[in-house]
Amino acid sequence: MSRAYAVNDWYVVADANSLRRGPTVTHLLDEALHVSGSFDAPVVTTAEGRRLPTQVKFDHLWTTLGDAPRPLFDIPEGDEAGRTRVPCGMVRVKCSPLRAVENFLDIAHFPFVHTDVLGAEPHTEVEPYKVEIREQDDAVWATRVKFFQPQAAKSAGGGITTDYEYRVPAPTTAVLYKTCPPKPEAQDVITIFVQPRSETECDVWPWMALYDFEAPYAELVQFQQLIFLQDRSILENQRPVKLPLDPKLEIPTRADLTSVAYRRWLKRRGAFYGALAETL
Amino acid sequence: MSARAVGLSRDLPAGRVMPAHVAGQDLALWRSVSGVLSAWDNRCPHRGMALSHGFVRGETLACLYHGWHFGCDRRCSLIPSHPDLNPPETIQTQAFPVVEADGVIWVALSGEAQATADLSGFKPLRSLEFRTDEAAVLPIKRLGGVAVKALLNPMKPASDGSLRTLVTCLIAETASLEQIKAALLDLEALRERAEGKGAS
Repeated sequence: MSRAYAVNDWYVVADANSLRRGPTVTHLLDEALHVSGSFDAPVVTTAEGRRLPTQVKFDHLWTTLGDAPRPLFDIPEGDEAGRTRVPCGMVRVKCSPLRAVENFLDIAHFPFVHTDVLGAEPHTEVEPYKVEIREQDDAVWATRVKFFQPQAAKSAGGGITTDYEYRVPAPTTAVLYKTCPPKPEAQDVITIFVQPRSETECDVWPWMALYDFEAPYAELVQFQQLIFLQDRSILENQRPVKLPLDPKLEIPTRADLTSVAYRRWLKRRGAFYGALAETL
Repeated sequence: MSARAVGLSRDLPAGRVMPAHVAGQDLALWRSVSGVLSAWDNRCPHRGMALSHGFVRGETLACLYHGWHFGCDRRCSLIPSHPDLNPPETIQTQAFPVVEADGVIWVALSGEAQATADLSGFKPLRSLEFRTDEAAVLPIKRLGGVAVKALLNPMKPASDGSLRTLVTCLIAETASLEQIKAALLDLEALRERAEGKGAS
């Protein structure tokens, strides 16, 4: 297990709702943390009583265990006027935090796992798309991704071909930009912030910044929760539990270019927490 | 290694898949629509998903995650994200020897799968899980006053660490319906005792 890279990233450990329920004990990178206070005055301490730095961003409370934390990435679209910002609570998954991110980057599973919502047979084909690692923000990007979806979003009336872009700004965060049905010139932003409790268990905090004017908040959250519960049935049944970085262990195809780039990017930066770095 | 009984044939009808376990190896046990039985490593070679969660389509087993189809020859026959692609021969599942005899499915991890018990004169009764280790299952010779055969297979421990044993039971062919009912009740009681839940 290597935490060397991971300790210097920032992670979500609470949202406003979970803080309101009172002090809690949570886990981050195999350490127990006490979380209390409010968004205005949050307190995060280790089991030994060391107080950790905190910041509130994207409607969540973030902390880091490292002595030399990298700056927390930005999602500028989140601040645009007219968007509804929707923190979606938390889903706990017994899987590697990296497998959770990789699943979020994958569209080929939509017809089988999110049947009749994000995909449906016979519309299973994944058209070629573009993947790159952009050096200026050191992120994995997948662009020009297209997929036919029966009900792409809560605000979508019927089936449409949805345009997607993905950005991975940190090993445990993925940002999705997708066609927004009521406002075709804009993109909805849907992210997952993955809190690595251990290498084999994580808390997933979805967060959205949408141009959905009609759906009540509870319905938006419910829609996202349904999607993530469907994903959980997959994520808890993958073996090995940790994400293999050796390309020989799991056979990719062209639709998996994002996953291939993500694994390479993790390997290159030594982000091995939750990964199976050694060759079997 | 000698073969282990992983369940009753009748519990796996055509067109179905179920998980099984032999000596540390997780298996996807499935039967094609035409009736071909296979025991595979319970792992899709694409992204490691348990194939026992998949679905049977005709003569193929499809993975639940991305719908990759694998034929009875173990080869990948369809990748739905690229429906026009002829999948490379190298994309295959791993298969283990499997055989059916007297209504019981036997799997070996190497060599040939051969029934290790003579079951002639017996018919299937029930296959069920005991939450105990193999040694805690006392010899089962008679149930409901009738001769039975019990085949034991240690399973993978449950997620809470508790040990499990699959007990596949057969009963004398001549047993009446009443005797079968009594035997099933006895078997349940036996399980409760073995699991330490019964009256001591």
